[in-house]
Amino acid sequence: MSVLPPDLDATRFAEALAEMRQAAGADWVFASDEDLGPYRDSFSPVWDTQRERLASAAVAPADVAQVSAIVRIAGRFGIPLFPISTGKNFGYGGPSPNVHGSVIVDLKRMDKVLEVDEARAFALVEPGVSYFDLYRAIEERGLKLMIDCPDPGWGSPIGNSLERGIGYTMGAFRDHFGASCGMEVVLPDGEVMRTGMGALPGAKTWQEYRYGFGPDPAGLFAQGNFGIVTKMGFRLYPRPDHYRTALVTVPRRRDFVKLVEQCNILSDAMLCGEPVYASPLMALMGNPSFAALATKKGGASDAALDAAASEAALPAWQVDLQFFGPEATTRANFAHARERILSAIPTATVIAGEDFPLPATKEQLANVAQPYRSSIRRHGALGVPSLGIWKIVREDGHLGFFPVLARSGEEVFRMQRVMGDALHEFDQLPSYFNAASAPLHWHPHAFQMVFAPPVKRADPAFNAMVDTAMRRAVEVAAEHGWGDYRAAPIYQDAVSETYSFNNHALRRFHETLKDAIDPAGIIAPGRGGIWPQRFRKR
Amino acid sequence: MMERRDVIKLGAGASLTLGLPARALAADTRPVDLWVADSRYPFAGAPMAPALRAFSIDGDVTDLWRDLVDPLWRQPGTGLAGLTGRDALFVLEQLAWSRGRRVVERASYAPETTRLPQLVRWRIAPHHPSTKAHP
Repeated sequence: MSVLPPDLDATRFAEALAEMRQAAGADWVFASDEDLGPYRDSFSPVWDTQRERLASAAVAPADVAQVSAIVRIAGRFGIPLFPISTGKNFGYGGPSPNVHGSVIVDLKRMDKVLEVDEARAFALVEPGVSYFDLYRAIEERGLKLMIDCPDPGWGSPIGNSLERGIGYTMGAFRDHFGASCGMEVVLPDGEVMRTGMGALPGAKTWQEYRYGFGPDPAGLFAQGNFGIVTKMGFRLYPRPDHYRTALVTVPRRRDFVKLVEQCNILSDAMLCGEPVYASPLMALMGNPSFAALATKKGGASDAALDAAASEAALPAWQVDLQFFGPEATTRANFAHARERILSAIPTATVIAGEDFPLPATKEQLANVAQPYRSSIRRHGALGVPSLGIWKIVREDGHLGFFPVLARSGEEVFRMQRVMGDALHEFDQLPSYFNAASAPLHWHPHAFQMVFAPPVKRADPAFNAMVDTAMRRAVEVAAEHGWGDYRAAPIYQDAVSETYSFNNHALRRFHETLKDAIDPAGIIAPGRGGIWPQRFRKR
Repeated sequence: MMERRDVIKLGAGASLTLGLPARALAADTRPVDLWVADSRYPFAGAPMAPALRAFSIDGDVTDLWRDLVDPLWRQPGTGLAGLTGRDALFVLEQLAWSRGRRVVERASYAPETTRLPQLVRWRIAPHHPSTKAHP
């Protein structure tokens, strides 16, 4: 108990923990330094510094009644709580809180898959359920349903969707919060509320009609701090019969503009899954002269990049396409995509990939039989949870800044140039924004690009440089209309600051709500950049 | 009944070639329920402690977790030990924390290279009262 909650002395904190032990069980309140180790952010760039935000204790309730009881105890003592589902939010703060000395509410014991309905394609789960758990529940029952999971898949559907996490199947399911339907929430006064049709006693449509009647507050609980979500529904994808892939390459840099336009249409019309973009020129980044060209300040000319591609006999861009559905439908959608793209870009090359019935075999999941070099991570693409991505993570983890940009080739080129120039001075970092950097089409209606600098726990000077680079990236991106979609607690205020239209009207609105619902800041004060009056004064 | 497996005996030549201290590959007589070997390291193939079962990974712990450890860790008990890359141990340690287990021993050996992460020899044991096997 070396860390105390704000405004509380050790005696009063001990009284609070004693009450929490009464509520959740003596074995489920953790306060020793050893027991609190797992609640530190393993990827923190401020590890063991004054800026690291540590928990004072953690409590793991078993059910909703215990969550309510803990919230009421915290309210009486004025202790900020920080709820986590499985605490695997790595790159975005892990399980660490916004306020130093918060008590973590670890919801791992609430791990029941409460309902899976095959005919109506939804699931209702508790926060401690992981994607592995939900996948297993569906498999064990032999249901023809597919989940959409992040990669890695050890997080929870509730935690990931509340962070607005994403997956890799069809657009309607990739946006995990967008694919949620109905939630149960413990409010800051301990009251239990249900959203949408869950508010109507006896309704059988809680997981099917999200709105109910009147305003739908569900969005306030994503990246927010207005309550602790204890149940949540998710729409599931009726497992398609068949999966088919194809690769499209285009020879010139500017062909990318038309390629994106065509893929947007295919995606918006729900004719394909996630288009996975890449530039084969990335393979040349080990060549110093090409690397210098691709990272040139002000941007390299299209002609110079096309010449480099031509010399290396590589296309400028490629996109992996994926088709789901009945076998004949995937064939027809592939034929349509080929015709559409070749009509727009006659110099494009379209290569048929694999196709096979679902569920995939282990070999098919390994994605080793494509007749081309594919950028698809097949587990994620087919909604099969995996931990394999950790094989490619080095150092002591990384941070994540994924600015949102419009789905257009021109905008991608602009972000490459602007962000590349802004981060040019940070030459100890890999080049994340260069002429071969591709956008991610994770969210169904927006692109993102990647800035994920590594963290080295034993090298504080390196981490300080990374921290400076992160803040610069957030600031410069915002100057050009690009905002981060998700951030670690230590960066949430900086990101919130950039969403500043009309003198921060949105943040002031959130603060007004927070002051009304949770003036003492019991639930995750500071999360999403929303501080209650009690903490705003500091 | 625990089956005692043969403990790997590596020649000094192998250790020297890899630059590893002998203790990295020394036999451990303490039994463990499951030994995890990382096939990316050529010498890490057989259990170095008496183990009920052994499981080989290539750095990716997905199958190990899904098929074996996740179901086992839903019950009390089950200790693990292994010689793996630190990337695999990172994942197992995170999972262990969420299931009331702890890494109780760890020793790092060969430094990380561009090809392979640092090699770590480790043990994971039940820690939380709910995970300790009843006598």
